[in-house]
Amino acid sequence: MSAPLVLGIETSCDETGVALVRGKDLLFDAVASSMDEHARFGGIIPEIASRAHLEAMVPTIRRALEGADVDLGQVDAIAVTAGPGLVGPLTIGAAAAKALSIGLGVPLYGVNHVIGHAAVDELVHGSFPDQVMALVVSGGHSSLLLVDDIVTGVTELGSTLDDAAGEAFDKVGRLLGLPYPGGPHIDRLAREGDPTAIRFPRGLTAAKDQAEHAYDFSFSGLKTAVARWVETRTDAGQEIPVADVAASFAAAVADVLTAKTIAACRRHGVSTLVIGGGFSANSQLRDLAAVRCAEAGIELRIPPIRFCTDNGAMIAALGSAALSRGVAPSRLDLPVDSSMPLIRVTV
Amino acid sequence: MPVLALDTSAAVSVALIDAEGRTLATRVVHEERRHAEQLAPMIADVLAATGTDRTALTGIVVGTGPAPFTGLRVGLVSARALGLALDIPVHGVCGLDAIAAQAAIDLSLAAGTEVLVVTDARRREVYWARYRVAGAAPQSLRVELVAGPGVASAAQVAADGHADGAIVVGPGASLYPEQLPPVDGAPTDPDPVVLARLALARVALGEDLPTEPLYLRRPDVVAPAPRKHVVTPAARKRALA
Ligand SMILES: Nc1ncnc2c1ncn2[C@@H]1O[C@H](COP(=O)(O)OP(=O)(O)O)[C@@H](O)[C@H]1O
Ligand SMILES: [Mg+2]
Repeated sequence: MSAPLVLGIETSCDETGVALVRGKDLLFDAVASSMDEHARFGGIIPEIASRAHLEAMVPTIRRALEGADVDLGQVDAIAVTAGPGLVGPLTIGAAAAKALSIGLGVPLYGVNHVIGHAAVDELVHGSFPDQVMALVVSGGHSSLLLVDDIVTGVTELGSTLDDAAGEAFDKVGRLLGLPYPGGPHIDRLAREGDPTAIRFPRGLTAAKDQAEHAYDFSFSGLKTAVARWVETRTDAGQEIPVADVAASFAAAVADVLTAKTIAACRRHGVSTLVIGGGFSANSQLRDLAAVRCAEAGIELRIPPIRFCTDNGAMIAALGSAALSRGVAPSRLDLPVDSSMPLIRVTV
Repeated sequence: MPVLALDTSAAVSVALIDAEGRTLATRVVHEERRHAEQLAPMIADVLAATGTDRTALTGIVVGTGPAPFTGLRVGLVSARALGLALDIPVHGVCGLDAIAAQAAIDLSLAAGTEVLVVTDARRREVYWARYRVAGAAPQSLRVELVAGPGVASAAQVAADGHADGAIVVGPGASLYPEQLPPVDGAPTDPDPVVLARLALARVALGEDLPTEPLYLRRPDVVAPAPRKHVVTPAARKRALA
């Protein structure tokens, strides 16, 4: 007997993602994005995203079914992002998922978006070993998760106390006059700069922070330091060495993320690290993680970019895992939760 | 051959009617928030309560607004997804049409009477549309759109003459009785049974009934939203510890 077929729906931000997963096999993943409509505003406009989700929902489901070459009638369960994310967009995915659940007479699983960013790696690199560390970094979150079981055993070791990594990049991008989102532009510029040119602060790495915040992150002080540095230079009428600023800033972010993550792996005796979320596209993070994991004897698993940005496959993967563990399905009155805690994998 | 009708423009309401337009079951929850939590259980409930197998449904009818956006979209995406799952047609009907048709019946309006429907658009504005009762009352449900739908302040709707010579109905009127004096005994929210009957009548005439939302307003783009949730509760707790 083949494994159950799960249709996953993701609408936590600007991407409408729909995917079909059978067991741990991805059949097809369809994504529509409204990012182009937001770029000129310098940030995601929830109402624009919500309108786009409504229009994209049925066409994206159809595209996923066609790509996977299955009929809706073959689907055994529906998985949907219950949170965290923007309420308006989340609400549309949840409503669509519930209607499909009723219409097909199949169970519904509301799942956690952030944990989905880790779960998707099982579709790409195979089942997780007994324990993995997951670093989920994106425009909205930066979290470190100890994963004993992706459904029943996720522990949040730490997360950002202020800005997410991608968000910090975007803010520094704005500061340097780069287009939105600034993250990829800083990445590109940083490759041409000297990462040791300016010593920017590493948040929450001081000895005094280790008791409470060993695995938490903070990037707002770093962002302020960059702003101040640029301002001082500008006031003095000096040229801003943009590539060096970008490289030094990116190095600080990559340093903190990888140092804390590898310390957590050592502390918990974990030898596999998964990095997910849209910010894992960042080449400074990738390079440093590769070097430090190799030094520490840790296997590094990073899914391809299209599975790191928001997508339906990550939600279908987590729903499929929940189904395989015999977790109780969600109720039809499941609420979406814009700040869904990371201890909740399913609703 | 039952048809499922739903509306999320103000209250969340669901109805199941048969092919002749007779009501089999209705459910209404008056709560202006949490549409997404209310609607799906109500749909499951009308099916269960009437012993209707979901695969027996032959069509879905949904109110297309105008209405507050978030609730409106819950109804529309639910209707579209249900239609997709069951492979049955989904028909959209403007909620103001249903109020006008209902008013024509409830108030026994003569053919030729004009009706201004106004509902609450928040931000001190109303959604409005003006209709002419076309068929012979009481059962024909035929109302023709004369003007609108639009969104404006009650004072502006009155100043533009939309209420002149018309009977004013709808919840927007009771909010602004000075500008738009309402008649007594008129319906307030769109009744999904009426929505469904209107849809069946229009489909019978060969009309196409799209489910595009009647937003009538452009999206607010005042300032980019803060990024989606950044500080998790656990992190916040540790930070405050
Ligand atoms: N190469 C890169 N370097 C740095 N930041 C990047 C890179 N690619 C994407 N980002 C950042 O990642 C974020 C987008 O990731 P995504 O997962 O879509 O975020 P979210 O869904 O949480 O908004 C943005 O902040 C963007 O600037
Ligand atoms: Mg994400």
